[in-house]
Amino acid sequence: MIEQRFKCPNCGEIASFSGDLGEQMVVSCAACNSKGRITISTGRENNNYAIEVSHLKKDYADLTAVNDISFSVKTGEIFAFLGPNGAGKTTTVEMIESIRQPTAGSIKLLGKDIKTQFNDVKEKIGILPQEFHSFERLTVRETLVYFSNLYKKKANVDEIIKSLDLISYKNMLYKNLSGGLKQRVGVAISLVNDPEIIFLDEPTTGLDPKARREVWDVIAGLRKKGKTVFLTTHYMEEAEFLADHIAVIFKGKIIAEGTLENLIRNYGKSSILHIKKCKNATDVIEMLKQEGYDEVTSDGNGDIAIKIDYKERVLEILSHLRHDCIEYESLDIRRSNLEEVFLHLTGLKLTEDKQ
Amino acid sequence: MDFIYSVKGWYRSRGGMFWSLAFPVILILLFGAIFSGVGSSKYTLYIQDQDQTEMSKVLNVALNATKLFNINTVKTDVNVTSFIKEKNIKGLIVIPKGFEQTIKNSFVNPSARVNLSFYFDPSDQTTTQVIRSVISGILQEMNKNLSQGRTIIGVSEISTITENFNYIDFFLPGMIGFTIMQGAIYGSIERNTKYRKDGILRKLLTTPITRTEWILAKMLFMMFLAALTTALITIIGILVFGMTVNFSPLVIIILIATSFLFSGMGMLIGRFVKEEETADTAAGAISFPMMFLAGTFFPLEQMPQFLQTIAHVLPLYYVNEGLRNSMIYMNQTESMINGAVVIIFAAVFFITGVLLTKWKED
Repeated sequence: MIEQRFKCPNCGEIASFSGDLGEQMVVSCAACNSKGRITISTGRENNNYAIEVSHLKKDYADLTAVNDISFSVKTGEIFAFLGPNGAGKTTTVEMIESIRQPTAGSIKLLGKDIKTQFNDVKEKIGILPQEFHSFERLTVRETLVYFSNLYKKKANVDEIIKSLDLISYKNMLYKNLSGGLKQRVGVAISLVNDPEIIFLDEPTTGLDPKARREVWDVIAGLRKKGKTVFLTTHYMEEAEFLADHIAVIFKGKIIAEGTLENLIRNYGKSSILHIKKCKNATDVIEMLKQEGYDEVTSDGNGDIAIKIDYKERVLEILSHLRHDCIEYESLDIRRSNLEEVFLHLTGLKLTEDKQ
Repeated sequence: MDFIYSVKGWYRSRGGMFWSLAFPVILILLFGAIFSGVGSSKYTLYIQDQDQTEMSKVLNVALNATKLFNINTVKTDVNVTSFIKEKNIKGLIVIPKGFEQTIKNSFVNPSARVNLSFYFDPSDQTTTQVIRSVISGILQEMNKNLSQGRTIIGVSEISTITENFNYIDFFLPGMIGFTIMQGAIYGSIERNTKYRKDGILRKLLTTPITRTEWILAKMLFMMFLAALTTALITIIGILVFGMTVNFSPLVIIILIATSFLFSGMGMLIGRFVKEEETADTAAGAISFPMMFLAGTFFPLEQMPQFLQTIAHVLPLYYVNEGLRNSMIYMNQTESMINGAVVIIFAAVFFITGVLLTKWKED
């Protein structure tokens, strides 16, 4: 049996539940009575944290950009800070990087309080600022050597160039690189001191899908090297593709946090089974409703969508269809995604840039 | 290390290279040619004939006959020394009273001798040389005719130490001061606006380099540019315009202070005007009028009184004057005073610049 602490996503109340590893259960919050499903895991509380943020707050004259947020990032994981533009992502990451001064709260990097010991961790972190643009008239290699010379601890510049697939561009001037390559060089710059924690602030904003994918591969490669990555993004797919752990930030508050699975399970709709071009659709809908499927919809042209709570239900439906010799063209199960989680949490769509 | 990369980046920027090197070279050649060429084929010679005799008139006629000079007659009651100073005169000959009498005496008294006075400007070697050789030629001829070669009429040369210099002498130090000002202001603005927008300043804040190290590295680069500019402009002055330029430690001190001064000014502009393009325009609006008002191209004396008063509060004026006094006029005391003013300006601008610059974000 493992005892694990959970935070109520609705009211923030913290409660302990016990269970076997991997056990799922539906629990209700003692404070606000809201119900939710939990999974007992090894418990992040038992691990080493690379970043610990507690009660962080940032007030400006006319708004509170970050409003009392707390979270921690486990060593070796990719942590995505997901939220729409203006949610407080950059303000938060720049406070953690000691570029901005928090109004209140404490931040620890690798166990050191950055208020007093930031100089001790400078050698161990690497950052890529938002919309970073390096010196125009230095080549890729010169740029990396330049930044590497600022540190005592130096990674091998040529190895970084190789591992980020920049060999054929290493003698090109920075200003002549494409947007995707510039971002890759930006990530490379954040690695010149072989850091333990890497901060990437919106590393793929403004890139085309192919270039974005290339940057993702680079970031995924960092996890393999055992680096801790703190990533801010407003792209759902980016968080889904890369992150081990996701915190959703909205209007300066963290409104949900967990693994992708956790978030979808707790806040997303369940999966949807689509039956395409189904014959006798009306009969099938009738039959499914009798079997206890409440959320069945049809477009009137033979396409049926059924909400499914857990995967065993799919087999159940399939055996009904087979039993009744129902003909259909295709089946397809669409999993709920972060977009739906966000929609559920805020009532808003976290859409792509409108540019 | 930062220094080497600054040099690389600058070397690869055509615009940067042009404005810091080619532009001043073009200006100096252009202005130098326009203003130095005036009256170069004929030399102006002033003559004060205190003797007013037949003999002295012969000498006048002989000089005129060479057709090398515009000859101006100076009245006998004029004080030559103050006249030279007042009018910035490069060559003046005085025929002394008793000139004819002495020549007449020489027929009976072999030791009789009279000297013309030749007031010359040592800084204008060409004019001096021409007058000197013409006079010596004429006198040689006259002596030969009068006494078969015995020297009766001689010349005593009197150097006039006046502030009598060519336009190029005036212009060169101004060009150095102006170019360093431009480089420092625009360089500083780039670091405070572009580097901020591009996240380079934010990036540097998270690296172990300290603010002081970063600023010093950049100042080292500014001083390198200043040294290069000065060397280039001076070499052109010497090779093309045959100038005599004096380099003292004072000049170097003024150049260093100037780099700090205008880097500080650039920081202040970048602090209050956040957009790079707007900041560049603001810098132009400040530096261009200053360039004209501080006597970079034209001597202050040519300007109306109220503009001269304005010039005395402009830092560039003291840079220009300090460099001029030390490099050209050899007036080290005056230069030291100018230098001290430049250093005070530099300290004020640089320190407030560093203090007011926002290194962190809000």
